[in-house]
Amino acid sequence: MDIKFALETFWSLAAALPLTLQLATTSIALGSVLALGLALARLSGILALDLFARTYVFLFRGTPLLVQIFLIYYGLSQFPAVRHSIFWPLLREPYWCAVLALMLNTAAYASEIIRGGLLSVPHGQVEAARACGMGRLMIFRRIVMPQALRQALPGYGNEMISMVKATALASIITLMEITGVAAKLISESYRVIEVFVVAGVIYLAINFALTRLVAFAEHRLNPQLRPPLPISTELKGETH
Amino acid sequence: MNMSAAVTAPVAIRVHDLHKSFGPVEVLKGVSLDAREGEVISILGSSGSGKSTLLRCINMLEVPNSGTIEVAGEAIRLKTSGDGRSRPADQKQVDRIRSELGMVFQSFNLWSHKTVLENVIEAPVHVLKRPRAEAIEEAEALLAKVGIADKRNHYPSHLSGGQQQRAAIARALAMRPKAMLFDEPTSALDPELVGEVLRVMRGLAEEGRTMLVVTHEMGFARDVSSRVVFVHKGTIEEEGPPHEVFTRSKSERFRQFIKS
Repeated sequence: MDIKFALETFWSLAAALPLTLQLATTSIALGSVLALGLALARLSGILALDLFARTYVFLFRGTPLLVQIFLIYYGLSQFPAVRHSIFWPLLREPYWCAVLALMLNTAAYASEIIRGGLLSVPHGQVEAARACGMGRLMIFRRIVMPQALRQALPGYGNEMISMVKATALASIITLMEITGVAAKLISESYRVIEVFVVAGVIYLAINFALTRLVAFAEHRLNPQLRPPLPISTELKGETH
Repeated sequence: MNMSAAVTAPVAIRVHDLHKSFGPVEVLKGVSLDAREGEVISILGSSGSGKSTLLRCINMLEVPNSGTIEVAGEAIRLKTSGDGRSRPADQKQVDRIRSELGMVFQSFNLWSHKTVLENVIEAPVHVLKRPRAEAIEEAEALLAKVGIADKRNHYPSHLSGGQQQRAAIARALAMRPKAMLFDEPTSALDPELVGEVLRVMRGLAEEGRTMLVVTHEMGFARDVSSRVVFVHKGTIEEEGPPHEVFTRSKSERFRQFIKS
């Protein structure tokens, strides 16, 4: 292994880091909103919404992400209706095609994680909130969601790690994120080991930081698992 | 409990001809009950008799199929929806009436992501929109009253069952309720923890609070309540002051029940 070359490669790949991070954070953020909607649809008790969410999850969880990326990037432009729609300025960009595919895909997995979290909140606690005169929205916001998040976080951490790695697929549709740049370097230098080892190390570093972040969030969100505060300590901040 | 006052005091909760079915099973078959202000009513009955359902209908945790519930003279309006099911006509009204009734559950149902103090101030601050500082002050007084002032910063999982139930009572009291509903408050507790919860409830009864208590504690029913109601197979089988019903009940079933 050529250390000097590996270091040069590192700086080339590091330049692609922002795009990888951008792809991951955008699709995770948008996907989480869609996932919450899907989870609520599953739990709504309204048959049409439930069936829609089930079908969605079945389709997006059951087909390869790569196939979804191809369908969106190469497939959508085949339809004149799409080319003439207001979404075309976005859909003609490989970046937004990648974000769209990643987001739709992660939403399917994450909706099941969130649904599990929502179901984990004991019904008695919801009943107690109702008995106090809280409305549905307040119960969801103040009683159910905070606890569902805690419950969902470990599983969601896994899903976020998957997403970071899944951004590598965006290289297939011309995006020069870390893997895209790595492939280009290899085609120029034929030094597969150095380039891919360095690329792997960068993904490892991202996911290491991510797991630390998730662990920190878990710690912050679970004060009930820590020893009780001494009585002299006033409540600060954690009530809202 | 002052018996003569209970007869003339205004009606706090009126239940009239309540019917409730779960699927094909009719759990309540026309129950009527008046609770006057200051009365402590123990609702007894074997499991499956409908006594918990009766209590849960009062604050609409179960929606009765027919019959009326009045709280402080105000009837809860019900409507029949398209599928023939009965439901509240005005959810806002139900929410408001619920906020005027304190409910204590068998399984405590404290919010596990909030400390004891946060549990107690949650609804006063967010439902009643009381100033936070004022709610905290009142909550601390209530926690002292139920004997767990030192646990205010603890999370429910760090408390014993008895402490959790006392916190739940404080949470219900913090709403300054017109009446308290207790749904088997000691049934989930270890025997040695029952006493501390019953002591708190006895204290509330002595303050003259209106209380409806579904319970298996015969001692509490006999000594603390002003009236005992025995529910059997969805109807009220026996009813009266404890000293009367416990000594000379006309109901064979009730005599059987208290013997067992």
